[in-house]
Amino acid sequence: MKNFINYQNKMNNQNNYGNFIENYNAIDNMNNPSGYNNMNVGAQQNLYEPYQGFIRGNMFPNLYDEYKIRRPFEVEPMNEQAELLTYIDSLCFAAHDLSLYLDNFPNDQQMIQKFNEYRMESNRAIEQYENQYGPLFVNSNANSVTPWAWDNKPWPWEN
Amino acid sequence: MWKYEKKLQYPVNIQKKNLKMAKYIITQYGGPAGELAAAWQYLDQRYTMPDEKGKALLTDIGTEELAHVEIISAMLYQLMKGATPQELEAAGLGSHYAQFGMDLFPADSFGNPFNMAYIKVAGDFIANIESNMGAEQRARATYEHLMDLTDDPDILAPLSFLRQREIIHYQRFKELRDYYLEKYKNKKNS
Repeated sequence: MKNFINYQNKMNNQNNYGNFIENYNAIDNMNNPSGYNNMNVGAQQNLYEPYQGFIRGNMFPNLYDEYKIRRPFEVEPMNEQAELLTYIDSLCFAAHDLSLYLDNFPNDQQMIQKFNEYRMESNRAIEQYENQYGPLFVNSNANSVTPWAWDNKPWPWEN
Repeated sequence: MWKYEKKLQYPVNIQKKNLKMAKYIITQYGGPAGELAAAWQYLDQRYTMPDEKGKALLTDIGTEELAHVEIISAMLYQLMKGATPQELEAAGLGSHYAQFGMDLFPADSFGNPFNMAYIKVAGDFIANIESNMGAEQRARATYEHLMDLTDDPDILAPLSFLRQREIIHYQRFKELRDYYLEKYKNKKNS
């Protein structure tokens, strides 16, 4: 767990990744039909930091809606490899969730900057992972070894 | 085109075999509000979106739904792993075993095979996007029902993640719908 905590601290200390702000703009989601025509969601969005957003399945505090569980489940990696993968999963998730938002709000420069921070850090972490543990993508440098590395364990659905 | 990432969008690590839950959760693979139907519905609709915004959003959400098909599939595989034919039969999965053995097969909880007629396309971008808003709501409700049926945190965690994604997707579709209603107010069919 030690490395994973380091990753999380790293995420929290970088720039504004640690945002956990509850002051956000008017909620405009499915649980608030009165906000139906509120299109002012393009500005001043607050975000969870990547790991916190990842375990919630949602980077946007004003859209988060819990059901049954009182707080999100922590992802508990079994080893160092899984810890690094969780760090990558968090950053990839964060970048992806922002990309869906940006499809609708393409002029939000701050969000584009945030997207690129997550994207670049995830690329760096993916390269580190692939060097240590093998390819996540078939076009990885980690596929330059013999024997062929792509068909190595673990497969994503195995536990 | 698509490229494979050798990882799940959200990890699945189910320790306890649970055939009852497999029988219920399979509807989110091949049922009417399942991930397969959602993926294909959005990807079929993207070609005729009226502007680049819609083409991007439907491509990106449709692609994410394919990743959700994989999460649900991983759950089914792990929930059924190591089950004997007798255990499968006792859980109502005897017919599944007879036809498919331990392979996955997209069906609903009653065993009805996946049906492409679940997919709603109407040749009208407002009608299409509103179908998608409905699809997200139905999927959210189904995930809540599935969460009601178990207390196993290994199962609840990915279900909760997937349910939350329906909420985000609904929001993005609604934003797009509202934007199009305004943009094409007087020329909806142009």
